[in-house]
Amino acid sequence: MMLDAGGGMSPIDPRLQEALDNERDPGDLPADQQDAYARLMTAATLLSAKPAVSVADRVMAEIRAMPQQLHTGNRWRRAARWLTRPLAVTLRLRPAWTLGLAAGGLAAILLLPGDENGPEPPRATEGIAQFVGHFPGARSVEVVGSFNNWSRGKLHLRDENHNGIWHGDAVLPAGQHEYMFVVDGERWVADPLAGRYVDDGFGVGRQNAVLIVRQANSEDAP
Amino acid sequence: MVNDSVPDAEVVARVLGGDGEAFGILIRRYEPGLLRFATRMLGNPDAAADAVAESLVRAYRHLAQCRDPGRLRSWLYRITGNRCRSHLARRRTNDISLSEAPPLADPSDAWAVVERGEQVALVERALAALPEEKREAFVLKHVEGMSYEEMAQVTGARIPTLKMRVHRAREALLAALQELV
Repeated sequence: MMLDAGGGMSPIDPRLQEALDNERDPGDLPADQQDAYARLMTAATLLSAKPAVSVADRVMAEIRAMPQQLHTGNRWRRAARWLTRPLAVTLRLRPAWTLGLAAGGLAAILLLPGDENGPEPPRATEGIAQFVGHFPGARSVEVVGSFNNWSRGKLHLRDENHNGIWHGDAVLPAGQHEYMFVVDGERWVADPLAGRYVDDGFGVGRQNAVLIVRQANSEDAP
Repeated sequence: MVNDSVPDAEVVARVLGGDGEAFGILIRRYEPGLLRFATRMLGNPDAAADAVAESLVRAYRHLAQCRDPGRLRSWLYRITGNRCRSHLARRRTNDISLSEAPPLADPSDAWAVVERGEQVALVERALAALPEEKREAFVLKHVEGMSYEEMAQVTGARIPTLKMRVHRAREALLAALQELV
């Protein structure tokens, strides 16, 4: 490393920095700076060669092995059909106070009439997720997540008592899902009560909330 | 079938509409740059390939979360940059093996290969000696040819900060590259 008399790194002449930022014609630089310009541009060129390997086949093989409906709405059409049938349901574990808030809703769902003569059992791979959030003053709250392709307009929460407690339910495939609340159509908020979060991969400190949906007929706690 | 000249946003719409094979267009379009970027960040072609493969699969899974498909390139570099940072965080900097860096050029003249290989090794060594943020800034600016605005989208850093990182990286590289050219 080149050090100057003071022990620090030698600064580059601002004119050279400008030329390297395409803000100045390098032809106007003094000869010694033109040499430095050429040295740095040569270094960049040496680093710019096309890599000899490819991961395309590997990535496409993994993509082809994914469920086909990953990016389609089939899941929701199936969920809508499922909701029209009386079923036993399994609920996602939530912090105690949110369960309390939703007690009325839970009771209503759990008391849905069953058909002992052979109602179609719930799909073994699905369960009900319940979302509750406290957003006083919000005009709208919706849920986007890995289960609806992070698309808005598909799962709106309700604040029927106008007390800032927004809630809603959805039938989801059993397993782990990531989600966010979208408040007033523009503010993305990770559920502060989710209890579990994962890095969303798009920036330092940005996280998605995680929910676990149990299978409707599962006896094992998640 | 989607033509390779179709804009990113249109390809993204096709993928989200259920045409998963169309994602191959995006891979062909951006894989070389992503691999080059990851290789320069990690100094190891195998780790770079893993990071890019993981990033592309993650991008596919979360494609609907890309809020501006017109800026897909920045989004993909951002995901890849994050994967590289995760890889780097799991190992010490001095574990980076410059000798494992891939051959970059393929000229037919054997002497040119040797000479160029030595030059590449020198530049890679100088680049690897930079702190991670400056290395990233230099590669995005001068190897991937991004504007400072696009770099800001990729890194989440402010433009004045990025300019400072690039300037410092140039100074350090220039000092280390006195033998070059």
